[in-house]
Amino acid sequence: MPAKPKIAFFDFTSCEGCQLTIVDLLQTHLGLLDLVEVVQWREAKTEKGEDYAIAFIEGSCSRASDEARLKQIRERAQVVVALGACAHLGGVNTMKNRWVMENVQTYVYGKDGQNAYETYPARPLSAVIKVDAVIPGCPIDRHEFLRIVQQMLQGRTPKLPDYPLCVECKLSENSCLNKHGKPCLGPITRAGCDAICPTYGDGCEGCRGWATEANFVHMREILRGHGLSDYEIDMKLTMFNHYQMHELGAKAPLTTSTTENVPLPTSKFSAPQED
Amino acid sequence: MYATPLINQKTTLTPRSYDGHTSIFLPTVATITDIKTETRLEKIFTIRLPNGQNLGQIPGQFVMVSIPGVGEAPISIMSSPSRTTDTFRLCIRNAGDLTNVIHTLQVGDEIGIRGPFGRGFPWETFFGKDMLIAPGGLGLAPARSLIDQIIDHRTNFGRLIILYGSRNPSELLFRDVLAEWEKRDDVELMVTVDRPNDTWTGKVGVITTLFEHVQINPFNTVAVTVGPPIMYRFVTMELLGKGLNPEQIWMSFERRMKCGVGKCGHCQVNHRYTCQDGPSWTYAEALAFEEAL
Amino acid sequence: MSLYILSKEKLPEFVKALQAKFRVVGPVRTETGYEFDDITDPEQLQLDYSTTILPPKKYFLPQHEVLFQFHSGPNGKGNKHLELRPIYQDVQPTVIFGVHTCDMNGIMLYDKVFAEGFRDEHYMERRAQIYIIGIECLHPCDEASFCKDMGTLTAPPIYDLHMTEMDGHYLVDTGTEKGERLLQENLYVQMAQKEDIQRLGQLLSAKWPRFRMRLKVSKDQTPSLLALGYKAKIWEQLGDRCLACGSCTNVCPTCFCFDVEDRMDINMQDGERARVWDSCQLREFALVAGGHNFRGKKSERVRHRVMRKGKYIKQVHGLLGCTGCGRCERACLVNITIPATINGLHDEMQLESGS
Repeated sequence: MPAKPKIAFFDFTSCEGCQLTIVDLLQTHLGLLDLVEVVQWREAKTEKGEDYAIAFIEGSCSRASDEARLKQIRERAQVVVALGACAHLGGVNTMKNRWVMENVQTYVYGKDGQNAYETYPARPLSAVIKVDAVIPGCPIDRHEFLRIVQQMLQGRTPKLPDYPLCVECKLSENSCLNKHGKPCLGPITRAGCDAICPTYGDGCEGCRGWATEANFVHMREILRGHGLSDYEIDMKLTMFNHYQMHELGAKAPLTTSTTENVPLPTSKFSAPQED
Repeated sequence: MYATPLINQKTTLTPRSYDGHTSIFLPTVATITDIKTETRLEKIFTIRLPNGQNLGQIPGQFVMVSIPGVGEAPISIMSSPSRTTDTFRLCIRNAGDLTNVIHTLQVGDEIGIRGPFGRGFPWETFFGKDMLIAPGGLGLAPARSLIDQIIDHRTNFGRLIILYGSRNPSELLFRDVLAEWEKRDDVELMVTVDRPNDTWTGKVGVITTLFEHVQINPFNTVAVTVGPPIMYRFVTMELLGKGLNPEQIWMSFERRMKCGVGKCGHCQVNHRYTCQDGPSWTYAEALAFEEAL
Repeated sequence: MSLYILSKEKLPEFVKALQAKFRVVGPVRTETGYEFDDITDPEQLQLDYSTTILPPKKYFLPQHEVLFQFHSGPNGKGNKHLELRPIYQDVQPTVIFGVHTCDMNGIMLYDKVFAEGFRDEHYMERRAQIYIIGIECLHPCDEASFCKDMGTLTAPPIYDLHMTEMDGHYLVDTGTEKGERLLQENLYVQMAQKEDIQRLGQLLSAKWPRFRMRLKVSKDQTPSLLALGYKAKIWEQLGDRCLACGSCTNVCPTCFCFDVEDRMDINMQDGERARVWDSCQLREFALVAGGHNFRGKKSERVRHRVMRKGKYIKQVHGLLGCTGCGRCERACLVNITIPATINGLHDEMQLESGS
């Protein structure tokens, strides 16, 4: 890696919140710009350079037509980094994969929905191109982003914790949510966020993906202890990690089908009424 | 309670004093004075301590090598005490994050050194014995500190048999030195590779295939084997088959280490800390630890 | 050494006097229980607390402790040049109030671990400035406690002061010279009278029946039981259940294993090396650079932890590694407990020997 590598940011299906986190990080760590040269960043910069060594890509791939652009970035960059849960896991975008795509399209945009927009089951970048490093989270942890950039500049392989969130909760002396009636996926979720959600009283939803040794059998047991049904547990496990749960298949079976025959929700956000 | 006398344990650089305090974690800043590329994966680093201080190691000991900002890892010392003056040498394989960065260092760069740590091979207790040394792969680096020490005190020992196994010819370490040993009348060297290439004319097979070519006096031989964990099971079988008892077989253990001073817990084998009570153990000692082999 | 009487009303006065010269910490109430924290107002101090998630070990070995700072930049010739400066973190006069007897036993083990062999001055310098004020346990914390089994229901001789609540007073024993001075210099206290001491004796002897025994073997038998049970089936069962989350070791008052981490500033030249709590229950704990994992299976790791608590640490430091505080049991989400493990192992070994 050259002394001051050229980097670029790209976005696919996402809220762009991870890039926003980096913009915010620059307010306190402007020195980052002494380490790298940003040549393309739609969210933060007008100029567009196509000569880059490291590509940070936010967002999942949710359209067949996105694949070509991803492959082009892959060809140009020496290193591709998946930025955030959508790029890393598919993330919340993959919740739609629970239903047949045509039904999703009609549900959202009415009977002409199938012609209204292009879609296919959302997937992580790694399902389309080779990914060299990952910065997990929804959104990413700014300190982890910084650390991983530093590791790459040192010529190292970026390293993520492979153990569950519980480690960080204990170090912060948080009272365990699962012990106090709040479902928390911390015991199976990869650490690295300093257990930010549990620290503020919210159960972990698994946005950083699973820890290497995630024990799904006993996680389900814990969640059942909170009175969650098998269906509700499946919904929890597939909120960010729908794609991963299907990849895991028989190794961590879902108890209910989440791809077909699941009725579309009838909530207050129900489909627009047709005249 | 099982207790091994901790012999040969000494350290010259740790703890280090600073402003009236001492710290067992503070490395001594040393300078790289030479780098030699040995194979595709290994480089030999010559390192000079401040004021040319002698490292004061025993064969089989290790140092903790630091690159502040990257990390620290245990590395076996390749130099024998007999050949250590104001510098010592480390043969480092590019096998992980830290060693990868170490391989990018240049002559003149500074690194951190703590140690030497651990129980080395009690080479003086081997006086008068025939020595059978069986290193596998990178194991030749720590074994070499013992071999050179024996060669430099050659009259104190009986035969010196070296059985060296490597995965393939390109991974053979110290080819120039192997050639020197080959020429000597008082060294019996045999080398084998698992996967030969077109130009290889030597023996082919895993290290254990060499044992049938050598006869030893089981009453007066000490065997020392250094290599990957999987190798020990097979090499010890060969040695036992030649009539050696477990007390006559020495080996060196690799474990994850974070402190080198018996605190961090990573290198524990049963209740023993490899960094302090090892890395050299007799096979008899290892047999008493379920976690050893 | 000597017993004094301290009336409950005078405790805040004592705490206030100490605050002028010391960092004062002790058990305080949280939303769900208690934790050791800095005392800013004497009213926060809850000496009748049950238990805390983390033991007071965090003041002896902080979760994240900087060992040295470094500067690593090019010298005049363009070579990498290093400057290192050791840091002794959190070395300050500190008084810890309300340490239970189990936790004092944990600290006693820590003192051995960090003093024996290579002396760890990062620990020892901090330790030298800590005053331990114990509180006598008259009731078990809860159902998870098994301190009576582990013999930690008596205060070990490491406290500077030790308080026992009695009839609206505290009876204070001074364990050390420095404890004696701490008390005398900061408060006017009277020596306990003959009747007080008699009453204390009654109080202490009356407390024992309130604590139950949970182990089927005595603590002195656990090393042999564990030696016999190395290949027992129970380890596989526990390994299947284990979440490998490290909670049991992080909350343990005797666990001291740590990892070492470097952090760099944004300038990529300055930084620090720190030790952070690590756990033998995590997958990478015994993984080496070549990829070999010496404890790759969860069952091996659960076994290693129990072996350490009940056997290995005693072999090395002469003390058992379990204080019976029950924290690991409270923290575990899959109900892996030391008593059930030891008892299960005992049953399995009995079955095996046919008795």
